[in-house]
Amino acid sequence: MPKQNSGNDDSEQTPIDFSFVLASSVHDMKNSLGMLLNTLSAMMANSPPKDAEQAQFFSVLEYEAARINGELVQLLSLYRMDENTMSVVIDQHYVSDIIDEQIARNDTLLKSRNIDVQVNCDSNLVWYFDNELIGGVLNNLIVNCARYSRKQLRLTAIEEGNFLCISIADDGQGYPDNMLMGAVPQTPVSFSSGNTRLGLLFTGKVLELHKSKKGQGYMTIANNGPLGGGVLTLHLP
Amino acid sequence: MADLGYYKMHALIIDDFENFRGTLYKMLMDLGIGNVDSAASGEEALRFCKARSYDIILCDNNLGKGKSGQQVLEQLRSTDNTCSDSLFILVSAESSKGTIMAAYDYEPDAYLAKPITPKALDQRLGRLIEQRVELKAIHAAQKSGDDQLAINLCKDLVDSGSRYANVCQKLLGQLFLKNNNLAAAESVYRTVLDNRELEWAQLGMVKTKLAQNDLLGAQQWLENILQANPLCMKAYDLQAELFKLQNDYEGLQGILQKATDISPLSILRQQALGDVAQQNNDLVTAANALKRAVKLGENSCFDNPSVHSLFAQTTIDLYSIDKELAKPFVREAIVCVNNLEENFGKSNLRKIESLLLESQLQVCAGDQRRAQDALASAQSSLVGNEDENALSVQIELVRTLRLIGKADEAQQLLEDLLHRYAGKEEHLQHLDVLLDEPRSEKNKLMVAEINKKGITFYNAKDFTAAADAFKTALQKLPNHIGLRLNYVQAMIDKLRTHFDAGTSEKVQQTFTKTNAIISQQHPQFQRYRQLSDVYTALIKAYEKNKRG
Repeated sequence: MPKQNSGNDDSEQTPIDFSFVLASSVHDMKNSLGMLLNTLSAMMANSPPKDAEQAQFFSVLEYEAARINGELVQLLSLYRMDENTMSVVIDQHYVSDIIDEQIARNDTLLKSRNIDVQVNCDSNLVWYFDNELIGGVLNNLIVNCARYSRKQLRLTAIEEGNFLCISIADDGQGYPDNMLMGAVPQTPVSFSSGNTRLGLLFTGKVLELHKSKKGQGYMTIANNGPLGGGVLTLHLP
Repeated sequence: MADLGYYKMHALIIDDFENFRGTLYKMLMDLGIGNVDSAASGEEALRFCKARSYDIILCDNNLGKGKSGQQVLEQLRSTDNTCSDSLFILVSAESSKGTIMAAYDYEPDAYLAKPITPKALDQRLGRLIEQRVELKAIHAAQKSGDDQLAINLCKDLVDSGSRYANVCQKLLGQLFLKNNNLAAAESVYRTVLDNRELEWAQLGMVKTKLAQNDLLGAQQWLENILQANPLCMKAYDLQAELFKLQNDYEGLQGILQKATDISPLSILRQQALGDVAQQNNDLVTAANALKRAVKLGENSCFDNPSVHSLFAQTTIDLYSIDKELAKPFVREAIVCVNNLEENFGKSNLRKIESLLLESQLQVCAGDQRRAQDALASAQSSLVGNEDENALSVQIELVRTLRLIGKADEAQQLLEDLLHRYAGKEEHLQHLDVLLDEPRSEKNKLMVAEINKKGITFYNAKDFTAAADAFKTALQKLPNHIGLRLNYVQAMIDKLRTHFDAGTSEKVQQTFTKTNAIISQQHPQFQRYRQLSDVYTALIKAYEKNKRG
């Protein structure tokens, strides 16, 4: 007879649902981080930076906190997708609204890094997507590009072959070769290199959730873009 | 950006962190908003909202103790007040609808994720207010009850290719449905769906089909939606409505169970689940759902004393069929009835009701002394109360006397009541719940009909349908021995054709309850004994079969 799993049996422990534990603590971390960000902005309001160096410190603090925040949100979203508790609601939206929204959200960051952002998007262009999920993806891309670009970012949205293409181009040194090899690999997490590529995994998953009769969303990555650096494009059916 | 008249506007910030209130206050002032108030809790905010109307409300979802942002929104939108159509922006540390899925019943105008930057706030507010301005005439027409004007204005905006054509189409669909112009509603939704399968238009089709009484059509649309998005709470609500129209209460319970599993924070769904499970005689499910509904009621405007009483009554009913199953609920039910007056206002009847429920619950908890004390207090409060509304309390008193073991006193009181209300149909209908044979014409008729229907099913060997028929009547007349035995007989035959543990458990529980209410002098006592023997033999045979 197979052994029953009884509570009294010391040799058999209840297995830890690690993803659940992780998700709960991520939730907690996010709350703490929220407090941290609040306090930081209050501090900046109370005692504005006296010189360029102090301003630089503040901006580093803000940037790193925003990055952690972004990663935690992505982690939670991936957890939900994995548990099938992520609700996707596709509706019609103005593409320029969602782009402007994400730029506005990162206004402080972009200003503190002196990055000039250009947007090429017909203000009447409408498309179908989940605005929160795609907004989250764009936010991560902007935060990421702000780190690698020198002084310029360009967001372009056009309709091409029945797909909406939103690309974000920078003037940095471009994406490393191993990221240019076609589709994003399924196991992009590499703890040793310090680059977990969580952002790409998240982006890929969000795009997969956008499908219609015309096909499924995907992304492409290339170098030597319009600003000389990398260019990442989201394709949405 | 065009002048949107910020200087004339009055905004309200709701957040439990002083820091954050300060930051937002400064941001709004910098944008040029004329007046900004701040509240540290939902309760405080609602007091402010009573005093004046706000153009904009920025509310954090997590407000610590007390009401959540979502609950503030629900109260503002579901009750009559000066802020029912304020722009409501729900701020959350975690972006979104995913976490606040209960939100689905009442959606805010926008969600805003923390941390908020001045520019993001400026941009979002600008967009929302521009939309308000553009749709102002439509909202005004709706508010004044001139739906036809609102419809025409929506059509104009759609035809002119307005930026808000999508919003107008949603509104148009709603307005056509509201005015029962179903062909026009269907045409709006079909036009949208021809272009793209959007969830809101599919939901609109379901509503249209329901209104057309095309239940099959509604079902098909619902299946499409739930296949694409198994988390669409609105689809669950419509599915529940569909089951109700079909009188399919098992189906209704199933869908509410699913919906509450996905989104446990919705008080209305928990209440509905408790209600239907209680009707279906699934007392464990009912007690669980009602317990959660009571808990969720703490800060909700949808809290309701009848839910609290039903929780207590369900716990007591559960005790009468299975003491062990009732155990985990008794303590909380006692707390719940003790707080009835505090939560819903003092009144003599409410006080007596809560004492009587407490007395019964103390019997369940095994504390005879407290049970007697509560009963005595209730009886002394009842002296001289000639209130006609006191009937429900008198009924509760009979139940209490029975449970506490004062059968004679219960019988005496019941006879007094029957005498007092003789010939009064409506009162008798209420009293029937305590009786073996109903006295009201309505219930007499119902028993005759249900018996006829059940027996027809039974003779056709459709034992499940027969049992269901008897069960429906038993919910209204729980002390009717004849119905109860008919139910058991159908269930036993069901077991004979196919043995399953769930059915067997139900039979066992019904016997426990019958045993408590039947006397040896009852004309059907012999039949009760026989059925009990048949069941015991059936179980023995089954066990033997299983072992062999």
